[in-house]
Amino acid sequence: MAPVTLRDVKKRYGSVQVIHGVSVDIRDGEFVVLVGPSGCGKSTLLRMIAGLEEISGGEVSIGGRVVNDKPPKDRDIAMVFQNYALYPHMNVADNMSFSLRLKGVPKAEIDQKVKRAASILALDHLLDRLPKQLSGGQRQRVAMGRAIVRDPQVFLFDEPLSNLDAKLRVQMRVEIKELHQRLKTTTIYVTHDQIEAMTMADKIVVMHDGIVEQIGAPLDLYDRPANLFVAGFIGSPSMNFVDGTLRLSGSDAAVVTADGVALPLARAPAGGANGQSVVYGIRPEHIALGDGGQRATVSVIEPTGSETQVFMRLGSSPVVGVFRERITARPDEALAIRPDPALAHVFDKVSGRRL
Amino acid sequence: MRSSTVGWLFLAPTLVILFIFGVLPFLYVLVIGFTQWNSFAADPTMQYNGVENFRRLMFDDQFLYSLWLTLKFGFFAVASQILLGYLLAQLFMRDFPGKGFFRTVHTLPLVIAPIAVGATWRLLLVPGLGPVPYYLNQWFGYELNISRYIDQAFVATVVMDIWHWTPLVTLTLLAALASLPKEPFEQAQIDGANRFQIFWHVTLPLLKPAILATVFIRLMDALRTVDEVWMLTGGGPGAATRYIGLHIWRVVFPKTDYGYGAAMSLITLYLTIVMCWLLYAGLVARRDLKRAE
Ligand SMILES: Nc1ncnc2c1ncn2[C@@H]1O[C@H](COP(=O)(O)OP(=O)(O)O)[C@@H](O)[C@H]1O
Ligand SMILES: [Mg+2]
Repeated sequence: MAPVTLRDVKKRYGSVQVIHGVSVDIRDGEFVVLVGPSGCGKSTLLRMIAGLEEISGGEVSIGGRVVNDKPPKDRDIAMVFQNYALYPHMNVADNMSFSLRLKGVPKAEIDQKVKRAASILALDHLLDRLPKQLSGGQRQRVAMGRAIVRDPQVFLFDEPLSNLDAKLRVQMRVEIKELHQRLKTTTIYVTHDQIEAMTMADKIVVMHDGIVEQIGAPLDLYDRPANLFVAGFIGSPSMNFVDGTLRLSGSDAAVVTADGVALPLARAPAGGANGQSVVYGIRPEHIALGDGGQRATVSVIEPTGSETQVFMRLGSSPVVGVFRERITARPDEALAIRPDPALAHVFDKVSGRRL
Repeated sequence: MRSSTVGWLFLAPTLVILFIFGVLPFLYVLVIGFTQWNSFAADPTMQYNGVENFRRLMFDDQFLYSLWLTLKFGFFAVASQILLGYLLAQLFMRDFPGKGFFRTVHTLPLVIAPIAVGATWRLLLVPGLGPVPYYLNQWFGYELNISRYIDQAFVATVVMDIWHWTPLVTLTLLAALASLPKEPFEQAQIDGANRFQIFWHVTLPLLKPAILATVFIRLMDALRTVDEVWMLTGGGPGAATRYIGLHIWRVVFPKTDYGYGAAMSLITLYLTIVMCWLLYAGLVARRDLKRAE
């Protein structure tokens, strides 16, 4: 177990820079998720921590020791790859014990460690199988088992669940989380799936185009996204954005759209000026039904059973609402909605920053 | 019913050709192998003499020596080719200036006919004429004379075979290397393996099928080399490079001992098949293991 620190880490491939100075502090035993859209540089960053990619600038330290020039084998890390990277010619037990055998750990100790990991992961009856003879979920477990037997300072996961079907993914998500609670090993977990990030992380690092957009606890990111990117990325369905101008008069604050729709705010945003161009953001689940708010026009209704998603137009802006109620409105009918002023977000139109 | 008839009709030309050029000659050799037939003999007609030819072969020093030489030749040539081919393949997996050019040039020997390869090497090495012995002597005082020293002649034929066929091994292993997944190698680094351990525990096992297949192809080829060696040394000096193909040729043509030569061919074929089978068993055993789901 060890803390991991990234200081202004950069990565260039030739003349193309893909990581533009990332700094993250990861505490001992913390479960940190790097999340962001495909191609934003998550894997590259993780591989730099692992030592599989050269570091073009900045500093990576593990357990207080700068490891920039250390090869992977001297970093005391374990990694689980997206496609598991099992050794195809070794059976499950050999796959799991490979690192220990290299280290010359006594056979009895290896057997005991493999047995223990296998029982944690319910792999006991599969130890003689080759990777070819396992299902995707089982291979995934073997890859984790291989990481566990090492008892490393840090676990690195690169989208370990994205090759599994939806149901198994949810199950493994819980298992990984439980495993972490049990072993308390510092974990860095890469995913493009914000639900995975929200459900698993102690701390989320949101990345976009090689920079960090925001770092924080899952609910902090949900409640107080620092900018438009994070606001749109975290939460599903994603936050509605409506362009408008900030109108402040006395203690009243509102965002007024070009169509003249006024969207009230609970309080004037700090640092917001009257007449400023802003983006008003409201999560679909923070819109209520009922009079006293705005009138929207229904476009499409999608009932999912437990809730109803309604795609509507507010003035000329598309808006999605998620309601617990069952809604029977037809397309083009008007619907009275009330976005919760206390839960609305306001962002500067130009910089995209939260006001 | 009808469709299977049509199928056979489509196959018929191939089968006929195979029968005429493959099966018939084999049967013919098989029959001759059990006869005494030599145009120079007191009785030059073909006569059935049972397994006499085969019995004689078991005590024929020249034949056994030639067989031994051939195996030695095959072993040294193929082992060096695999080793060298692997190193070259690894080289071509990396990037270096002029790589494309070098790779192209290095495969050129493959397209040269064996007889031309033999001729070229002969012109290079023949004592008194070739530049190689001349300069070796001038610069290093080394006497290279493949018409005189049997070891030199043997090594020369092995080196020629290596020169001719290593590119094939390189290309096969290069294709195999390029198709290997890269994750197990990264995983091995993370698992703490050094370069040699990665080679031994990961690369080699993953390449094993490709290596076995290449050995298989190359060995079969090396065991029936005739033309190159014929051009370079003519099987000499003495019988030092008279590999089995050359030996059979000598028995059958200049000596016209058809029955005996046929028996020799059959034994050689049999031994080759046994070796093929051993290698093949090695390959197939692996696959079966993988398939057992
Ligand atoms: N070997 C490479 N050479 C050049 N560019 C690369 C290389 N590997 C990755 N990239 C680029 O770096 C960026 C980040 O890639 P990656 O870290 O794999 O993204 P993610 O894992 O977030 O989907 C991408 O734009 C990708 O095209
Ligand atoms: Mg990735």
